[in-house]
Amino acid sequence: MEVKPKSACESCAHFNEAGLKKLGVNTTAYDHVIALAGNPNTGKSTVFNALTGLRQHTGNWPGKTVTRAEGGFEYNKEKYKLVDLPGTYSLLSTSEDEEVARNFILFGRPTVTVIVVDASRLERNLNLVLQILEITDRAVLCLNLMDEAKRNKIEIDTRSLARDLGIPVVPTSARFNEGIPELIQTISEVASGAIVCRPHRIKNIPKNIENAVEELSEEIKKEYPDIPNSRWIAFRLLEGDQHIIELLKSGEFEEYIS
Amino acid sequence: MKQKNIDNIIALSNDLRWQIGDEFHDNLAEGIYADAAEIVKGAVHKENGNKRLRLDAKIDKIVTSKVWGFPLMFLILAFVLWLTIIGANYPSAMLAELLLNTVHPALKSFASSVGMPWWLDGFLIDGVYLAVAWVIAVMLPPMAIFFPLFTLLEDFGYLPRIAFNLDHLFKLSGAHGKQALTMSMGFGCNAAGVVATRIIDSPRERLIAIITNNFSLCNGRWPTQILIATIFIGAVVPSSMSGIASLGAVIGVAVLGICFMFLTSWALSKTVLKGEVSTFNLELPPYRPPRFWKTIYTSIIDRTLIVLWRAIVFAAPAGAVIWLISNIHIGDLSIAAWMIDSFDGFAFLFGLNGVILVAYIVAIPANEIVIPTILMLTVLVTGISGGEGAGVMFELESASATGDILRAGGWTLLTAVNLMLFSLLHNPCSTTIYTIYKETKSTKWTVIASILPVIMGFVVTFLVAQIWRLFL
Amino acid sequence: MNTYNPLIALLIFLGLSLLGYLFFRPNRGWYWFIKNSSRATDKVIAEDILKRLYHNENASNFLNINDVVRTLKQDEQMVVESINKMTTLGLVKMEGDIVRLTKSGSDYALRIIRAHRLWERYLAEKTGFNKSEWHQRAERKEHELTMDDTNLLANTLGNPQFDPHGDPIPTISGKMAKLKGVPVSDLKVNTIGRIIHIKDKPDIIYKQILAENIHIGSIIRIVEKSSERIVFHSEGEAFKLAPIMAGNITVSVLEKDVAFEEDVLRLNILKENEMAKIIGISKELRGESRRRLLDLGFVKGAEVSIDLLNPLGEPKAYLIKGTSIALRNNQASKILIKK
Ligand SMILES: Nc1nc2c(ncn2[C@@H]2O[C@H](COP(=O)(O)OP(=O)(O)O)[C@@H](O)[C@H]2O)c(=O)[nH]1
Ligand SMILES: [Mg+2]
Repeated sequence: MEVKPKSACESCAHFNEAGLKKLGVNTTAYDHVIALAGNPNTGKSTVFNALTGLRQHTGNWPGKTVTRAEGGFEYNKEKYKLVDLPGTYSLLSTSEDEEVARNFILFGRPTVTVIVVDASRLERNLNLVLQILEITDRAVLCLNLMDEAKRNKIEIDTRSLARDLGIPVVPTSARFNEGIPELIQTISEVASGAIVCRPHRIKNIPKNIENAVEELSEEIKKEYPDIPNSRWIAFRLLEGDQHIIELLKSGEFEEYIS
Repeated sequence: MKQKNIDNIIALSNDLRWQIGDEFHDNLAEGIYADAAEIVKGAVHKENGNKRLRLDAKIDKIVTSKVWGFPLMFLILAFVLWLTIIGANYPSAMLAELLLNTVHPALKSFASSVGMPWWLDGFLIDGVYLAVAWVIAVMLPPMAIFFPLFTLLEDFGYLPRIAFNLDHLFKLSGAHGKQALTMSMGFGCNAAGVVATRIIDSPRERLIAIITNNFSLCNGRWPTQILIATIFIGAVVPSSMSGIASLGAVIGVAVLGICFMFLTSWALSKTVLKGEVSTFNLELPPYRPPRFWKTIYTSIIDRTLIVLWRAIVFAAPAGAVIWLISNIHIGDLSIAAWMIDSFDGFAFLFGLNGVILVAYIVAIPANEIVIPTILMLTVLVTGISGGEGAGVMFELESASATGDILRAGGWTLLTAVNLMLFSLLHNPCSTTIYTIYKETKSTKWTVIASILPVIMGFVVTFLVAQIWRLFL
Repeated sequence: MNTYNPLIALLIFLGLSLLGYLFFRPNRGWYWFIKNSSRATDKVIAEDILKRLYHNENASNFLNINDVVRTLKQDEQMVVESINKMTTLGLVKMEGDIVRLTKSGSDYALRIIRAHRLWERYLAEKTGFNKSEWHQRAERKEHELTMDDTNLLANTLGNPQFDPHGDPIPTISGKMAKLKGVPVSDLKVNTIGRIIHIKDKPDIIYKQILAENIHIGSIIRIVEKSSERIVFHSEGEAFKLAPIMAGNITVSVLEKDVAFEEDVLRLNILKENEMAKIIGISKELRGESRRRLLDLGFVKGAEVSIDLLNPLGEPKAYLIKGTSIALRNNQASKILIKK
C-alpha cells in the first residue's frame, strides 16, 4: 500500500507558497490536466476559483455549472489546466450533465481527478466517488465543507477514509481557503507519481453480476492490456452504453486510451 | 483480427446482459451504496445522527409553513420587484440624460463639424447609436438591481424552497416547481429566464419552462405597460383614482401573463410535449450565508452584462433598419409609410394600427425601443409637429404630451388596451429567440416558442376588438 | 373596409376555430382520420394479416379467410387481394380453406413483432408516454421501421429480451426467450411468484389491470382463491381480481423459501417523525425516473424519514442519506418501505 494518507499538517510543510501562480483563464501549454468532479453543490466551483483565481459563478443551488469551465495555475514550475465539470450524482445514467462528466473523466485523460465531496453528506457523495474510482486510478478526494461538518458535529477519520478508498484525502473549507495549499501539494504529488493510488473497487454486487463483469473484463484486458478501467468498460457494456459500443467498434477507443 | 476480437467482446456483453436480466442497474446502484455505507461506518462519527442542523430545520419550518410560507414568498417577491422598479428610475434617468440628451447631440454636432454626409450621420448616430443607447438606458439599471438580488436569494438557498412550496400548482399544469423561479427570472429578462431553465433537469418540464418564459412580462415591457396605462387607463377614471387604476391595469396584465403561462404549460404537456421524458426531484440544499460582494460581482458579470451585450448586438442593426425604412423613399413615401399603410387595414381587425405592427416588426430585437419607435413613426405618418426627424427615435418628458401625439395618431382606449395585450403576447425578442435556440439546440422548439405567443396575441386582441366594437 | 362588421368577423372566426377543432381535436379529429385511413395501405394490411396468422398459428389456431377478415376489421375485398398477392410472393399458402404461413411468411411476421415489441420497450424506457398508449403507438410504428431501424433500435436499447408487457422480443435471427409461466388463475393459495407477463389484449381487460396498478416484475403471494375471485398480495397491497382478469396475468412460480415481504408500505403514507427502511422501488417505475431515484440514494436498506411537509400537501421532502429531497406523491408511492 503506497498511499500516504496525509493529515493537514503533514503536508503544510511541503507546500511551497512561492511556487504557486494563479493563471486565470490562461491555459496554454500546460503539463497536467486536472478534472474537478463531484455532486452538485459541494463547492467544486469554489475550489476551482480558489485554485485559479477566477470568479466562476458559484451558487447554493444544485445543478449550476452546465458546461465545463476551464482555468489554470502554476505550481513549482509545472502548469496545470483545471476543468470544472458539471455536478452529477452518478455516472451510470444518461443525462447530458453526466455524459459530459463521464466522457471527460474517461476520455479527456486528466492527469488527476479531484473529487470534491460534502463532508457532512459523505455517504451519498461516495456513490459518485466509488464510480469514479472504477474509471481512474489517479484521484484525490477533496473533503470540502469541513466547517459545516464541524458545525454539524461530524467527525471524519481521514486516515481510515484514505485507506479504504485508496486515494489521498484532503480536508478543506474552500470558501475560507482552508486546506487549499495542501490540496495543491497533493495534486502535484499524485500528478508526478510521488503518490500512487490503489483505488477501491466496488465489492457488494451479486455473484452473477460479479462473474459476468470479471469474464467481460478479462476479455477487454486481453484486447487492451494497458487500460486501468476494464471493469468500468465492462459495467458500461453490460448496461448497453451505446456510446462506448460505438467507440469500440469504430476503433476510436484505441486512440482515447493510448 | 483486432476487429474480430472487439466484435467478440460486444457479442459476449450482449450474451451476458441477457443472462443477468433487467436487474443490472438496480443491483449495481445498490451495491455501490452498500460499499459506501461500509466505508462511512468506519470513518465517520456523527454525534447528531442523520438529523439536520437545528437552525436549518427551524428556518425551513417557517418558510414552508401553512401560515407563513406563502405570505413570506409574496412579500419577498414584491420587495424585489419594488426595489427594481423604484431603484432603477434614478440611474435610468441619469443614463438617458447622459446618453440621449448629452452624448447624442454632441455626436451630432461633431459629425456636422467634420462634414459627415447626412445619410452616414443619420444611419450611424440616429439609427445605430440611438437604439443601443436606448437599450442600455432602459435595460441596464433594472437588471443590475434585479439579478444581484435574485442571486443573493439563490445563494442563501431560499429559491429551492419557493419551488418546493409552489410545485403543486405547477404540477397541475404539467410543469415543474422550479418553473416558478425561471418565471420570476423572466420578469427581469426572458433571455436570462431561459438560461435559468437549466436548473430543471427533466426534459419535458424544461421545454415547457423555456417555451412559456415569454409570458413573464420582462423589464423591457414594464415601461411600455406603465406608460400606456397611465395615459389611457388612468384617464377614464376620476383623476383621484387614476394612479390606482393604471397600476391595477399593469398588474392585471402581468397576472394575465401568469394565467397564460399555466394554460400554455398545460396544453403543451398534453399535446406536443406528451412524449418527452418527465422526471421529478428537487433537492433542498442547506442554507448558507451568501458572500455579498462576490455575489454582486459575479451576478453582474455573469448575467447582467452578458444579457446586455446580446441585447446590444441585436439592437444595433434594428436601429439601422428603423432609420433606413424611415429615410429611403419609394415614390414620395418612405418605406415605413408604405408598410404602415399596407398594414393599417389588417391591424384594424385587431384593434391596433399599422404603426404598432411595424414598430413590433422592426423592434423584434428589443422591446425597449418599441415606444420610441411608435412615437417616431406616428409623427412621421401623421405629419404633426414634434419629434426629432425621420428615423430618429424619441421619448417625451411628460406622459400627457406623449398621449397627445398618440391621440393625434388616432389612438383610442381600445388601441391602448390591445397594445398592452399585444405587448404581453407577442414573439420573444430576438435575444431570447437566439437563447432558446442555444439552449434547446432545436429549430422546432425555437419556432414553436416564437410563433405560439404571436398567434395567441392576435387571437386575444382580435376577440377583444370585436367584442369591444359590438358592445361599446 | 365598408363591409366590415364586428359581428360577422367574430362569427367567421368562431366558425374557423370550430373547423380547426373538429379537424385536429385529439384522437377523433378528421385530420387523424384521414391520416389513419391513408395509412391502411397494402403493406400495412399485409403485415397485419401475417402477424395475426402468426399469433394464431402459435396457439394452434388456424384461420380461414373469413376469420381473417373478421379479426382484422378490414374491408373484405382488400384482405382477399392482399392474401392473393402474398400467395404469389410465397409468404402464405392456402391449405383448403385455411390460410397458412410459409417459412418466409413467418419470418416476416417475426420481424414485425420484433419491431412492435422493441418500440414498446423504447416508449417505456425513453419517452414519457403513458403506458396505456404504448400498444397503439407501436401498432402504427411497426410498419414504419425498416430492418436497419429495428436493429439500431435494439442496439440502443441494449438488445432487451422482453417488452414492457413481459412478451419476449425476437432476436434478429428470430429466436425468442421462452416464457415458462402459469396464469394467476391456476395458482394455489400461498404460492409465491413473480409477474412475468400481462396480456395487452383484449383492451378492456388490459386497461382494467393497468388501473389496478399491477405490473411486471413484482412479486405476489396468493392468499385466497374461489370461483368468484382471486386475492393476492403484492408490493404492500391486496388485489382482488375476477378469474378472467387473473387469467391474463402470468407469473413464474418461485421457490417456497423466497422471502416475501409481507408488511410492505409505500413511502407516500409515511408520517412525520416516523422512520422507515426502503425495501425497493416498484417495478412500475422505469427508465430515467427509476435511475434518478437510485442515484439519489433511494436504494434497498436506506433509512428514510419525512423532513418537511408542504403547505399544499405535495411534494413532501424526505431525508435520505443526510439530504433533503422532495418527491411528489405519485413517485413516493412507488418506493416500497417497511416501518
Ligand atoms: N461554508 C462553506 N460553504 C462553502 C464551502 N465551499 C463552497 N461553499 C458554498 O457552497 C455553495 C456551492 O458552491 P459551488 O462552488 O457553487 O458548488 P458546485 O455546485 O459544486 O460548483 C456556495 O454557496 C458556496 O459559497 C466551504 O468550504 N464552506
Ligand atoms: Mg459549480
